[in-house]
Amino acid sequence: MTSPPDDTGTDEGLLLAGRALVRSYGHSPALRGISVGTRRGEILAITGPSGSGKSTLLLCLAGILRPDAGEVRFDGRRIDTDSEAERSRLRRTRFGVLFQFGQLVPELTAAENVAMPLLLAGVKRRPALTAAGTWLERFEVADLATHRPTEMSGGQAQRVAMARALVTEPEVLFADEPTGALDTLAGEQVLTELVRVTRQAGMTVLMVTHDAKVAAYADREIVIRDGMADDGAPTSALRGALGRAGAR
Amino acid sequence: MSGSADVGAMRWSTLLWLATAGGRADRTRIALTAVGAAAGVLALLAAATVAATGEDDGPYTSQLLNETGLHIGIVIALVLLCVPVLAFTGQCARIGAPARDRRLAALRLTGATPADVARVAAVETGLAAALGSLIGLGVYLLGRVLLGDPVTATYERSTEISSNGYLIEDVTGPALRLPTDVLPPVWLIALLVLAVPIAATVFALAALRRVTTTPFGVVRSQRVRPVQVVPAALFVLGAGGMALFAGLVRLTGIDGGVGRVPALVFLLLFLCTAIGIVLGTAAVSARVGEFLARRTGRPALLIAGRRLVAAPFAASRSHSALLVVVLLAAAIQGFRSHTLLSQRQSGNEFYARALDTVDLALVVAGAIAVAGLLVGTIEGVLSRRRAAAALVAAGVPRGVLGRALLLEVLVPVVPATLLATAAGILAARGVMGTTVQESSYSATGRVLRVVETAVPVPWTALAVIAGGTTLATAALTLIALPILRRSADPGELRTA
Ligand SMILES: Nc1ncnc2c1ncn2[C@@H]1O[C@H](COP(=O)(O)OP(=O)(O)OP(=O)(O)O)[C@@H](O)[C@H]1O
Ligand SMILES: [Mg+2]
Repeated sequence: MTSPPDDTGTDEGLLLAGRALVRSYGHSPALRGISVGTRRGEILAITGPSGSGKSTLLLCLAGILRPDAGEVRFDGRRIDTDSEAERSRLRRTRFGVLFQFGQLVPELTAAENVAMPLLLAGVKRRPALTAAGTWLERFEVADLATHRPTEMSGGQAQRVAMARALVTEPEVLFADEPTGALDTLAGEQVLTELVRVTRQAGMTVLMVTHDAKVAAYADREIVIRDGMADDGAPTSALRGALGRAGAR
Repeated sequence: MSGSADVGAMRWSTLLWLATAGGRADRTRIALTAVGAAAGVLALLAAATVAATGEDDGPYTSQLLNETGLHIGIVIALVLLCVPVLAFTGQCARIGAPARDRRLAALRLTGATPADVARVAAVETGLAAALGSLIGLGVYLLGRVLLGDPVTATYERSTEISSNGYLIEDVTGPALRLPTDVLPPVWLIALLVLAVPIAATVFALAALRRVTTTPFGVVRSQRVRPVQVVPAALFVLGAGGMALFAGLVRLTGIDGGVGRVPALVFLLLFLCTAIGIVLGTAAVSARVGEFLARRTGRPALLIAGRRLVAAPFAASRSHSALLVVVLLAAAIQGFRSHTLLSQRQSGNEFYARALDTVDLALVVAGAIAVAGLLVGTIEGVLSRRRAAAALVAAGVPRGVLGRALLLEVLVPVVPATLLATAAGILAARGVMGTTVQESSYSATGRVLRVVETAVPVPWTALAVIAGGTTLATAALTLIALPILRRSADPGELRTA
């Protein structure tokens, strides 16, 4: 497996790019040299069978996990070599993350959960809660502001989690099966809102899903099998991304 | 798992196997539950033995044992030692329990009821405690044999020579190290060995009563507002009663000294105070937490405050043993000040030595209580690891999570410790009085004059107790921090 000849200096136009990413858990490899890139404002779906490495890829791209080999660039700068503190800062200022369930602090109210990223950024309590209220309204859960996650339905909790992920108006939203724990109707509603709001704000979205209907909301889809892009060529996804970026 | 829909008929063995299928955490939980039960039974058997020891038994190397009048004190101390031991056991029963409950809850998809799930947990705790109980009995019986040989020692023998005069002489000869020559009645031994596992099971059931686990492992518990009037009333009754104890004893017409009835009344009052403080901790935690959470803009304080509101009993449960020890320690320091002052002239250092032994027991009890607190803290950290991992993934600095944990532990400890220290010293001064009469004698033994001396409040000792407890608690939380760090693993975020 050789690197493509054009893989240096061509990440321009890509907001986020992972190149030749390798990551193992103990002796079992989860990522085997995959490359992915995404343009600003794009909604990218990452699909593939269970255990193929989708979540691992997302965690690496978001700077939550460190790849064993390969590199991750965000806005032209390499981030996988950053310290945990630096990546943590990046995540709370320029990234948003959304998981399947269980990401809200169960003891905090909905409004406090949403306000948390702002409080961490040093925003005062009152304005932070006001902004949180606005986001809860946007996802039609304003009436749950004082409720705790344990008192909400799965769909409601997921809307609150979206509000929390987006309250800092991040440049990239990473979502791992955001509708995976919801029934079809609730899942579709949550997804529609997600797409509407992120498109409006021009955000870039990386969304892991194994649901073709969910993937259909995306601009582009890449399929992973066994830690590699579907056709076995590790860089095909990157080429595709570059092609689109170049065509702009 | 097979697709069997009829879980009602599912074998108990299958359920128990499932309860313990989680590996290390489950083994630790069961082992520590057994150890706690063994220690509890051992303490209770020791108390029963001392209670059964009379004038004709012995002699023993320790003056505490030779002096039958002091036995009631030892018995009370040993029974109270069971409080941190049992609290520790209760904490240990939670290790790995959320994961176990999730596994059992998965069964509910195939039809097991929440009651089945709770019952499995209770049976597991009961069996582990029963095993521990038997081990405790074994250690007790073995100890009687191993430590049963008399050794040569010098001990004091007091002989009554008149209605209120004693002859005290030093005797050197064979003496026993422990009352290994006394065996409590068999029915009492059986009762104690049975009581511990039964109590453990009841506690386990009570702990699970309000928690229902959904098949997705989401624990939904009703919000409980801790009662405030009952603990306050118990505290006032207990602490006030102890402060007025001397008067109370006179009122009941029982003459002073450490008779059985006043000792029992005192024990009850003490328990009232202790229960009041422990329950009150929950109310205070919830109140202070709410107060902070409603105002603060600091993430760590907000998280800590909300956790205290959401689970006020978690704090009081893990702190209860420590608070009882603090209460006891403060009372004993007051007792010591009094004793030292009143014995100054007599030159009799017996009580001072006895108090050193009690101090040692307190340190042991404190260490057990602190270990229980650590187990409770770590368990809390582990059970919240998914939320912690999500926060770290979202870029919350780990320092914020660490500070939240520290605040969550310290916010209830500080007021509760101060209250317990105050109640303890109040109790001692109530029972012993605040003054001591010192008489000076002439060469012929005539009383020249009687001076009332105020017993000093042992401020230094009290500061050491209250400050030491707070510091020890903070230090413990620091031990739990690396576990917090590791528990916030992104692996928790995988869609399982
Ligand atoms: N923390 C971990 N420890 C050990 N193995 C892991 C861990 N996380 C992932 N793996 C393994 O790595 C591989 C990829 O896992 P990953 O979670 O990325 O897959 P996925 O595509 O997200 O699957 P799913 O659709 O089921 O969520 C799998 O074989 C998995 O068993
Ligand atoms: Mg996944």
